[in-house]
Amino acid sequence: MTGYLYEKDLRQMKYTILTSTRHDEAVRAIARRIGMTDAKLRMAMIRRFDMSLLENLESRWEMGQQYADRDDPVAAELGCELFTRFVPLVDTETMQSIYTETTAMIGNGSPRVEALARGKEQVREAVLS
Amino acid sequence: MKKTVDVSIPLGPVHPCWKEPVRLKCETAGERVLRVEVELGYMKKGIERIMRGRPWQEVMFLAERVCGICSVIHNMVFIEAMEKISDIAVPPRAAYLRVIVNELDRMASHILANFSYCYTIEHETLAMYLLNTRETVLDNLERITGSRINTAYMIPGGVRFDLLPEDAAAMLADLVKVEDEMKRHVRIFETGPLIALRSRGIGVMSREEAIEAHTVGPTARASGVPDSDLRLRHPTYRALGFEQITRTEGDNFARVMVRFQEVFQSIDLIRKCIETLPDGPIRGGGLCRAGEATYSGEAPRGELTYSIKTDEYGRVLDIAIRTPSIMNIEACAHSMIRDATSIADVTSTFISSDPCIACNER
Repeated sequence: MTGYLYEKDLRQMKYTILTSTRHDEAVRAIARRIGMTDAKLRMAMIRRFDMSLLENLESRWEMGQQYADRDDPVAAELGCELFTRFVPLVDTETMQSIYTETTAMIGNGSPRVEALARGKEQVREAVLS
Repeated sequence: MKKTVDVSIPLGPVHPCWKEPVRLKCETAGERVLRVEVELGYMKKGIERIMRGRPWQEVMFLAERVCGICSVIHNMVFIEAMEKISDIAVPPRAAYLRVIVNELDRMASHILANFSYCYTIEHETLAMYLLNTRETVLDNLERITGSRINTAYMIPGGVRFDLLPEDAAAMLADLVKVEDEMKRHVRIFETGPLIALRSRGIGVMSREEAIEAHTVGPTARASGVPDSDLRLRHPTYRALGFEQITRTEGDNFARVMVRFQEVFQSIDLIRKCIETLPDGPIRGGGLCRAGEATYSGEAPRGELTYSIKTDEYGRVLDIAIRTPSIMNIEACAHSMIRDATSIADVTSTFISSDPCIACNER
């Protein structure tokens, strides 16, 4: 893959997008949902998302809350669709393996709360990786 | 034997097909587009920041300047948000006049968007025909508001100018002309075999992808998203019996065709408004007060939202604008263009979503 002729550092502009009023609210809500600090989440988003996805973050978050993971309570707790399709912080394969592991733990008789806590921890790790 | 190479292709920021500067960074495997990254920031205005602390009388003019193509709806949504905050009623005649001006603006915007698409796929003949028809629409916008762009027509509690009977008659005559011309243009577009090659089955976005990205306006309606036109919830449009136009193909062709169909729908709405235009004043008066509101309206490109907080003098303390292009450009880059089988389809698909960079970089 050849590189581009010139490349700008977009981090400052991406940060400006994320800290506008409505986007900041969305970032804080997502950070609370995942259980990590706002700053770390912002850093992950700046690294993963392009400028248009960051601009659209608030709308995607709204739609995710409305439509994602409506049928499966375990998937809803982990945010399987929410964090792969609507706010794509985790890739689909990783999320699928986290989901499979969590459901297997519940199926094997582990306490549900414990299994979900472990699953969520893995989601946090995947976001920061 | 043909050699396939993987390259990163930057399109823009200055590109013959872009109306405004934006950079698309495409990663390709041969001709197939694997991934697209959008780089913005070439024309950031910071208009929300400029609006803060200013009286509504100034913000009203700034709101229109977010976008030159759909300036009327920015004026309308801002004013209707202020009316919601201050509980100001609009006289029925003014409400109908607002619809007329808004629909003229929508026609001008849709025709310009379709001009851009035809120009991008190098059907310049149809593109120029469309621009010519758009002139008649803008003439009518000037006839009623006194200006072709940035009309500042709506004010809290009404509108600035009435529609005189002779102007209404002239407008109706022009609408017949526009309708005839548009029927011919649509026939050229629908039946053109080369147009079909560049448009049908290209840049397909599924209904699910459209919902995920909160796609709005004709872009969403072309992918079959139901209940995605805010005019369905607007009292004046409901009184006029408005119904949403939807297609299911989700490709470039469908997006352009939805806009064409909406132009005819706008013509019908304007006719209905003129026929049933109520008598009475065009300004009801009212005072802008302190409060907070989030209000959305259907712009030509889709849902436009203003969140406003004002003080007791009607000064804007805080404002956030969510324009439809924010959602549509993102969906276009990450759903429509991804997996395109030819790099030549990137420009046409991007333009088919009617991207407004001025709106995106408000």
